Amino acid sequence: MTGPKGHGLEISTAVGLVERYAAAFASGVPDRPADDGLFGPGSVTWRLAADLSAPVAGLRSVLIQALHPLAMAGVDQHSDWRVDPVGRLAATSAYLATITYGDRAAASRAGGRVRAIHDHVRGTDPVTGRPYAAGDPALLLWVHAALVDSVLAAARLFGTPPVDEDADAYLGEMAVSAELLGVPRELIPDRVAALEEYIEGVRPELRRTPAAAESMGYMLDPAGMGEEIAELWQDLRDAALATLPGWARDLYGYPEPPALTPGRRTEIRQTLGVFDAVFMAEPGVLEARQQLALRMRAAKG
Amino acid sequence: MRIRGGKLVAVAAAGGVSVAALTVLGRRSLRVQRAMAALRLAARGGARYASNAPRLFASAGEHREQLRNDLALQTAEDVAATLGTMKGVLMKLGQMASYVDDGLSPAARRTLSRLQDSVPPMSAELAAQVVTEELGRPPEQAFATWDPQPIAAASIGQVHRAITHAGRAVAVKVQYPGIAETIEADLGNVGLLRRMLKITAPSQDVEALLAELRERVTEELDYRREARHQQMFARYYEGHPTIAVPQIVEELSTRRVVTSELADGARFAELAGWSQAERDLAAETIYRFVFRSLYEAHAFNGDPHPGNYLFHGGGRVTFLDFGLVKRFTAEEMQPLAAMVKHLCVDSDPEGFRRAMVQAGFLVPDAPVPTPLVVEHMAVFYDTVRERGPRTMTGEYASAVTRKFFDFRSPLAPYARIPRSYVILQRINLGLFALLGELSATADWRGIAEEIWPFFQGPPCTPMGAAEAAWRAGRTERMHAGSLGQ
Repeated sequence: MTGPKGHGLEISTAVGLVERYAAAFASGVPDRPADDGLFGPGSVTWRLAADLSAPVAGLRSVLIQALHPLAMAGVDQHSDWRVDPVGRLAATSAYLATITYGDRAAASRAGGRVRAIHDHVRGTDPVTGRPYAAGDPALLLWVHAALVDSVLAAARLFGTPPVDEDADAYLGEMAVSAELLGVPRELIPDRVAALEEYIEGVRPELRRTPAAAESMGYMLDPAGMGEEIAELWQDLRDAALATLPGWARDLYGYPEPPALTPGRRTEIRQTLGVFDAVFMAEPGVLEARQQLALRMRAAKG
Repeated sequence: MRIRGGKLVAVAAAGGVSVAALTVLGRRSLRVQRAMAALRLAARGGARYASNAPRLFASAGEHREQLRNDLALQTAEDVAATLGTMKGVLMKLGQMASYVDDGLSPAARRTLSRLQDSVPPMSAELAAQVVTEELGRPPEQAFATWDPQPIAAASIGQVHRAITHAGRAVAVKVQYPGIAETIEADLGNVGLLRRMLKITAPSQDVEALLAELRERVTEELDYRREARHQQMFARYYEGHPTIAVPQIVEELSTRRVVTSELADGARFAELAGWSQAERDLAAETIYRFVFRSLYEAHAFNGDPHPGNYLFHGGGRVTFLDFGLVKRFTAEEMQPLAAMVKHLCVDSDPEGFRRAMVQAGFLVPDAPVPTPLVVEHMAVFYDTVRERGPRTMTGEYASAVTRKFFDFRSPLAPYARIPRSYVILQRINLGLFALLGELSATADWRGIAEEIWPFFQGPPCTPMGAAEAAWRAGRTERMHAGSLGQ
């Protein structure tokens, strides 16, 4: 990872990380939405997207997604993540913000753009020798399942845990986002039990390919990232690993993390709070959150 | 943007963490740099949270008030969500850093000092709920008149106007419900802070630093302590020609509610439009207040925050907010006075050095020649070395701050700041910056001579003469040499 300019590699890179994430978020929150979009301010999706645990969910999500060899091969062979890993993540982040908070037209446009990109992402996985296509509903579904499962897992451990009904409601809401990219509705698990069953069913296909090992090694300990962020990233990494299911840890060969004591959990939450404060100070973030807060409050009552 | 180490140290200092621990870092190891970076990030979190938050309302323009109401904190859960998981702690650090940071422009510092504006106010219902819990009656009954619309934000609460049943106009400061528990929880789990401090100040007793940080902030969470201090200052300065401290209404003050006489006046920012003569007088009063309180009352209000003054013209100033008061024993004061006396009155460098060692500012037998010690320390005494008018400037305040954070000084490895004196650094870091912002001119030495207990100089200004008359007329209670009971 290289810094965009000026101040020495480490600092400028860290600044880039925070800024680009923040810009991605702010860009997805509309000033004057034509409608409430795919979910709306009263949705569980909006609440979980704003949960303190969201960064943990993001990191866990890519860790799980990368274990599917074909999904990983698509990213590895068709994106420039090595050149610009932050940009690659920020693009995903911008997409998610848009489909979450944008109005229906904006979500639809964003979905169309991603589908168009996916059309060109085809190839053969060098590890399994199997052909892949990013538009393959099976792959899209895996990526979707990893995300929603991670959002729930992270919130349960480090955020405000959703009650069971809300967790089910969340999966029902988010099914729309998988549909948006071309997954047939009937394939999408819309309850926690169905999601677990689905993930269990995919597990035999999962493995740690060299590309997964490389990219996730980077994600857990991003080289060249500003040391100030790196200090806190350790906690983010520990948090993501703590939420990982045992089978995923085993596939990666990560040791079982020490039991999460209440004190350590609080410390990680504090780190997430510091992250959040830094993030919030970036241009546009506070204004965006303010708008969302007003809409959520209005929706409540 | 690279943030200078000074900022980091200032923030830590402001948080009550011993500045000493950070000033004595001579050479910084890689490990230390790493830790500095971590702490800097926390500081940045606080500072940027602070500096950007006002936009939340500023950007709303004319709808500002409506927006504040729409976003008002309605429940204790809202408070926890807004200020929990370190944000309250960061805000406190950012708030304190806002007036000790030489790396910030006055404008940026003012922006930071407006941090309190950034948090939405409590809804009228939530504020009333706190008052009810604290005073046992809803505010409409506890007071003859209660204004449900807050008039100002306080550091962890907000201020309402009211009229007591006795007919006194009062300001009622109401604390956010749950904020004390939230901040205490964050300070009760100090894993993150400990990690930062351990590498930042490896030579120091990290547990002691953490204990101090917790102590300082916890003190501020209990309004009763503040009320006690304010009442002491109010009694002490009763009848003073230019210094006013609002009286506390004790029967309407509790842990989360403090009621005091309502004071009104011009805000610090408005002084910019006043004549320089008026600004000089205001500065003289502030200067007298700080050093009279310290040398005579052995008490120091460690919060020289621009928002804590109301100005009335003619040098009359009302002092607000006594959330961070430190009282000194005679034994603690003695070496401080001795240092000033040896350096500025007796011109006795060796005596100055002995007093420094006695106070604990300098380790005994430090291999540093005395002239160098004096050279390093002189800047702190610059304004009281000689008689005659001198103008406080922002440059002087910055020079003091730079000297204070000079890690490369040959003296640095042997300098310490004993825990009980840490708060006094706010004179160097806060007061001088404030007076510098006023570009205030006065014969500071002359004023100091009036106040120094070992000098007892004659009045050197009209205000000094008025003060002398006030002192002569004070009752027995006022002469005690420390604040009243």
